Amino acid sequence: MLNKLRISGVLLVFGFVVEALSLCWNTALSFMSFVVIGGLFFGSGILLFLYSLVASKDSTLES
Amino acid sequence: MINPETLVFVLIGASILLALVVVIRPSITASREGKVIAFLALFIVPVVTAGVGASEHIERSEQTQFCLSCHIMEPYGKSLYVDDPAHIPAAHFQNHRIPADQACYTCHTDYAMFGTMRAKLEGLHHVYVYWFGTPMSPIRLYHPYNNRECLHCHAGARSFESATHMAMMNDLKTNKLSCTTSGCHDTIHSVDKLGEAKFWKPLE
Repeated sequence: MLNKLRISGVLLVFGFVVEALSLCWNTALSFMSFVVIGGLFFGSGILLFLYSLVASKDSTLES
Repeated sequence: MINPETLVFVLIGASILLALVVVIRPSITASREGKVIAFLALFIVPVVTAGVGASEHIERSEQTQFCLSCHIMEPYGKSLYVDDPAHIPAAHFQNHRIPADQACYTCHTDYAMFGTMRAKLEGLHHVYVYWFGTPMSPIRLYHPYNNRECLHCHAGARSFESATHMAMMNDLKTNKLSCTTSGCHDTIHSVDKLGEAKFWKPLE
């Protein structure tokens, strides 16, 4: 579960970075970059986190 | 007062820091408080931040600069500076009869119930066709221009309520007679004639 949390966090950080970069320009391409690339990172990060909640058998640290 | 755009960047920065806390120390989730922080950092805050970013992008998509950022729109942007009062978009743009920074969106949106959303979805379609399809040449509207977009501003205005307009008002409102293709106000972007046109140079 800890690894899933780490990976989820990393994916979300990439998503935030893509969002910040996309806001530096006001073009159709930057908008699409945010939607497609940022959306992929956000979506996968959030879904992985949610999966880690339901997949872990134990809510405490893995031994 | 802090610029809203700056606030968005501050929010993104805070979101990154919060996510990094979980990335660097995932063991904090051993405690109940840590679980709450992880839930906030990896679900609530990303959803909120992505939503704020999307909202900012959607606001920006209404700007003239956004529309003209695609190369294919260059002649249409140039047509806004034609020095001829008969050119409808140019006359509106140069005299600030429409907001200059939202020139395209003001006229090319639909003022009906889902107008703004439909305009934005059509914009997404434009981007898709531009990058992955074959844009039509010459570019044409998907539907005939609806008089409602003109009447939205002009109806009720003193300068518009001439005998000529009032005589044909019913036909204008029902689109039986088009404002832009009936021989009266037919000079729109006319990008094929830009080579022969004179252009206005703004002072600032």
